[in-house]
Amino acid sequence: MTDGERTFRVDLMTRVEGEGRFELRVRDGVVERAVLSIYEAPRFFEAFVRGRSIFEVPDIVARICGICPVAYQMSAVRALEEALGLSPTPTLRALRRLFYCGEWISSHALHVFLLHAPDFLGFPGALEMAAAGHRDLVERGLRIKKVGNAILERIGGRAVHPISARVGGFTRLPTPAELGALRDDVARALDEAEIATRWAAGLDFPAFEQDYVFVSLVGDAYPLEWADEFAVSGRGTLPIADFERVCVEAQVPWSNALQARLDDGRTYLTGPLARFAHNAARLHPRAAALAPPAPVRNPHASIVVRCVEIVHALAEALDLIEAYAPEGPAYLEAAPRESTGLGATEAPRGLLYHRYAIGPDGLVREAAIVPPTSQNQARIEQDLIGMAPQLLTMEHERATRLCEQLIRAYDPCISCATHFLTLDIERVTP
Amino acid sequence: MTAQALARDDLGALFDALRAEGYRVVGPTLRDDAIVLADLRGPEDLPAGWTVRQGPGTYRVERRDDEALFGFAVGQHSWKGFLFPSRERLVEMRREDGALEHRPAARDAAPLAFLGVRGCDLAAIEVQDRTFMRGRHVDPGYDARRRAAFVVAVDCLEAGDLCFCASMGTGPGVERGFDLRLTELGPRFLVAVGSARGASVAARLPLRAAPAGDERRRRDGLDDARAHMGRTMQADDLPGLLFGNLDHPRWDDVAARCLACANCTLVCPTCFCFSVETVSDLSGTEARRDRAWDSCFTVQHGQIHGATFRPRIKDRYRQWLTHKLGAWVSQFGVSGCTGCGRCIAWCPVGIDLTEEVAAIRATSRPAVAMPPPPAPAPAVREPMVPATARVTAVRRETDDVVTLRIAHEIAFRPGQFHMLGLPAIGEVPISIAGGDGRSVDHTIRAVGAVSGALAALEPGHALGIRGPFGSAWPLEACVGRPVVVVAGGVGLAPLRAALDTMAARPLDYPSVRLLYGARTPADLLFTDDLQRWAADPRFAVRVTVDHAGADWRGDVGVVTRLITDVPPDAVALVCGPEMMMGFSVRALCAAGLPAERAYVSMERNMACAVAHCGRCQLGPYFVCRDGPVFRFDRIARLFDQEGF
Amino acid sequence: MKPRLAVIKLASCDGCQVTLLDLEDELLAIGEALDVAHFTEASSRFDPDGPFDLTLIEGSVSQPRQIPIVRHARAMSKRLVAIGACANTGGLQALRNWANHEEYLSLVYARPEYIETLAESKPVSELVPVDFELNGCPPDRHQLLEVITAFLVGRRPNIRSESVCLECKRAGHVCVHVAYGIPCLGPVTQAGCGALCPGKRRGCYSCFGPRENANTGSLADDLERKGLPPAEVARRFRLIYGWAPPFRAESARREKP
Repeated sequence: MTDGERTFRVDLMTRVEGEGRFELRVRDGVVERAVLSIYEAPRFFEAFVRGRSIFEVPDIVARICGICPVAYQMSAVRALEEALGLSPTPTLRALRRLFYCGEWISSHALHVFLLHAPDFLGFPGALEMAAAGHRDLVERGLRIKKVGNAILERIGGRAVHPISARVGGFTRLPTPAELGALRDDVARALDEAEIATRWAAGLDFPAFEQDYVFVSLVGDAYPLEWADEFAVSGRGTLPIADFERVCVEAQVPWSNALQARLDDGRTYLTGPLARFAHNAARLHPRAAALAPPAPVRNPHASIVVRCVEIVHALAEALDLIEAYAPEGPAYLEAAPRESTGLGATEAPRGLLYHRYAIGPDGLVREAAIVPPTSQNQARIEQDLIGMAPQLLTMEHERATRLCEQLIRAYDPCISCATHFLTLDIERVTP
Repeated sequence: MTAQALARDDLGALFDALRAEGYRVVGPTLRDDAIVLADLRGPEDLPAGWTVRQGPGTYRVERRDDEALFGFAVGQHSWKGFLFPSRERLVEMRREDGALEHRPAARDAAPLAFLGVRGCDLAAIEVQDRTFMRGRHVDPGYDARRRAAFVVAVDCLEAGDLCFCASMGTGPGVERGFDLRLTELGPRFLVAVGSARGASVAARLPLRAAPAGDERRRRDGLDDARAHMGRTMQADDLPGLLFGNLDHPRWDDVAARCLACANCTLVCPTCFCFSVETVSDLSGTEARRDRAWDSCFTVQHGQIHGATFRPRIKDRYRQWLTHKLGAWVSQFGVSGCTGCGRCIAWCPVGIDLTEEVAAIRATSRPAVAMPPPPAPAPAVREPMVPATARVTAVRRETDDVVTLRIAHEIAFRPGQFHMLGLPAIGEVPISIAGGDGRSVDHTIRAVGAVSGALAALEPGHALGIRGPFGSAWPLEACVGRPVVVVAGGVGLAPLRAALDTMAARPLDYPSVRLLYGARTPADLLFTDDLQRWAADPRFAVRVTVDHAGADWRGDVGVVTRLITDVPPDAVALVCGPEMMMGFSVRALCAAGLPAERAYVSMERNMACAVAHCGRCQLGPYFVCRDGPVFRFDRIARLFDQEGF
Repeated sequence: MKPRLAVIKLASCDGCQVTLLDLEDELLAIGEALDVAHFTEASSRFDPDGPFDLTLIEGSVSQPRQIPIVRHARAMSKRLVAIGACANTGGLQALRNWANHEEYLSLVYARPEYIETLAESKPVSELVPVDFELNGCPPDRHQLLEVITAFLVGRRPNIRSESVCLECKRAGHVCVHVAYGIPCLGPVTQAGCGALCPGKRRGCYSCFGPRENANTGSLADDLERKGLPPAEVARRFRLIYGWAPPFRAESARREKP
């Protein structure tokens, strides 16, 4: 094919959360190097929670990520409650689900309208897009996002690092009137999200399909704040207690980085495409009506699945608000004791697993956190390799942009990942 | 008239009657394990059977062994939240194409009925009335809400753990100032009518003659409450006592405990300090001034560009207590404390003002005399809404000082000041440096955002102007006497109009000596005026600079060195930095001038300029109202007091 | 020409930038009033070189490579505003400043020798002067808008260094410390959040950092009187703003046996 060496490289990836670069080097048609390199500063969160009261954990782990703090809080309280044998009441579970819907709406809308859409419409960013004739689209996205934030604020005080989640429940339950005041805005946003989903489905996606191993939580409902099992393509359903055995976080000798892979060495994908692949039948009817056939194997088309998940989250939020009739206490009491607990929830970007050991003094003795982006990272690098043949036929700048676009389609959250990633990950491909 | 009673079961009729007369009913209700003031639907929202147990820094609701509706002491909320809301929009402004519009903000003055006002709290409302309604300037929002409000008072037949209304003369009974008064006597309320509005509401109630003995039961209950006050405080001599003990070691002791969190001031039903904030859209086209509850415990309260008047917690606690129990009497003719005990309960670390006062009293130095409150003056309304005016000329005085001539037809007295403002940027007090009835001159040094923006104005530009405010130089007292004028730096500006008046009236002012000091020759203001005054044979002008170049022919050194041979019958007018004024007056007095004939112009953090916001206090005075020009002997004690 | 805005990120969770993007009602107006010249989280059109009229900087200085970024930002910016806890006092990740750095690395990384970090998570102001410090983890979006607006129209931002108690009382929240005995750091914490925690019946955990003149000693004594062990009092002061000098000193005092 093409002789010589071609390198596709972006040193400062944009419209992603956090700081990263990538490099794909191909010599004589063979990929020599496919690197998603993350130079974001590492931040040591597993160490920070050691010696802390379990009641401080939700506040601490929220700070891992400013985009999905609720996901961190929800995985943490789930794991810690498991350790203490606490079983949240139906009111608390419903409120957590609504809370989490707010984060999905807000985080997905941020990605769909402000970060990802400019790739399809040919703009450097949403502000430029709005200034050049797409103001309606951007404003629609902002309105949807605002409703997600309004849910977060009503329950948690604020959208970034909300303050009301605690082990055992919430510090205070909102009144039905407080939640009810959101109803009309949520209903309007749901209508708008349906329009946006149809718009996204009509976009032109670069052709690129891979045979992904999808990993997501599964349960009775579309997975969000609660599930006891997870599914791995081709391997069925497993108890969440098996997560660390199946999805192995290991330091590989050639990369100085912890990477999550399956125990058989394969890479896997977590996030909207995986959730959709395993749970399409559990979507809210209003979301199911708009959903493409499952599974979707083109990461570029994840924008459609995100839109479907926005519709799902808004539709569920509407149902939850209308059904909200709080019963029982704002939180369940439990004295910390020596124990271990684990739990996973579905962050906007994918499965987020936490495990804590509580010491005899009631303080956290050990913590393990596996965020989605670290799970997807090896898969992203493999996608870059998979794209190489088509890139070689393209004009260089366009090919480079396509690489960045592919990475962006994963909505990588580098800030999350760096609590354990090294500065420079180099994985030489065979 | 025989006493009348309302059956407890008929209390709903009171709600109906109040609503029928157009009132929204607010009062005590149990919410989130505390008794708060909020909208009430009916008697079912009252905290039946609840009481509170309080101590320094603690408050807990508890069940009573009866079903009394008003069987609790006052809580964190007070009626101030309704009459003087914690945030309120004052002025709206719009600037477009060079035009500038100021208008009063819309106000919510829907009539409220306050149900369950205790004696201490009714007294507190009347204390705030004096601030916002009874002074020279009337706050229109407060005034409208207060006049509309209907007061249903309730006697206290039980005293709370922290109450000392009996000491302050505000309770436990309510004897006047209400529209209706209820006394809860088991299954019925004794009802008293206190106003025509009250009579109108009472006429709608199913009242019956009260059983014989109810009036007596009321009196006995009040006596019992009076005898069981949780706290006491001897109050009559506090103003002079506290101001005579500004250096008492107890201030340091309490400062170690005080968090300066401001809770005491915000729960206090009489504390009225507020901040004024300028808010705008991104373009600065639409702007407004909002006020928000502030407190003398914040640094911003006593801060102007370049100076923090109360940097230490000790300064702030002392400011609060001396104001509350002392200065208030000079400012408004009444103590600022009603004995409600809120500041004790809601202090997170439980500081008890009655204990602090007792500790000071125990080892106090003698009391001092305090000034009387000012005489009533005719009221001015909408004092916060500026007029729009235009700059007609700009004269550059020094590198960072300009004089704006502003077209504005206004009468003023030399020494007074205006509030000058720009819509999206803010408002500052600027002394009047001259004027001719059609325009005023303002000399402005660019030190902060607002003064910098004002100093950058050009002819034709519009700005907001309020005033004139404050006291003036005593030019009539100077007639026929030698006058010594001492000015430092931009301190010459507030004196310029006075000097011009004296120059224009040779028969009245036979001898004027101007002693003017600046940092360098380049910092001298009004060089034309200085020459003009110097040419007048009645004037003796001496100018000195701290740092001079080779071509400087005048004096070098601080201005106080020029203060010699002061005629014993002279009047001195002094303006400049506070330290310079202090040294100057001391030098004048050393040269034989009695302190009561020295006048100084003070600067503090004036935000409203109408004695409402509380930020420019100087002991018993408001600098905006009683100053800025003060006879020195009246403030001498505070002048050297650190942290005032 | 429109003023040029840069948004720069150091070690952080991105929450401050998200807060900027959470200004849904004003974001497009900001884009119209300012030339958003460098904001890589929002746009692929970027200009790291400058100059900038206003630079918002998020995150703490945690890696050697960030030092020249900060110096450059200072040199090329008319106004440099540090936003958030990390940029202003090192943030939550400054918790590692107390630990043995190597030990911390080995807790998370099997091969710590490859991690390039500074021994401490530092505030931006330790390297260069900043024109304004906007605190909060995250900063309040209304305050962030106020800083941008104040810069655009030329006023001093209405950001007060008062205690959370003022906002709490203005909001009419019942004091959780006094009425429920819930330990609250509001009296020593800078306002700006809107007194969120007391409004949700929890004590302030000081995610806006120490207020001016914070009397931490008196509050800590009170917490101990209310039954909190000194070690727990120390932990409360050593969290998001733990590296801020008044809190750092207080946690050190309480930690001693």
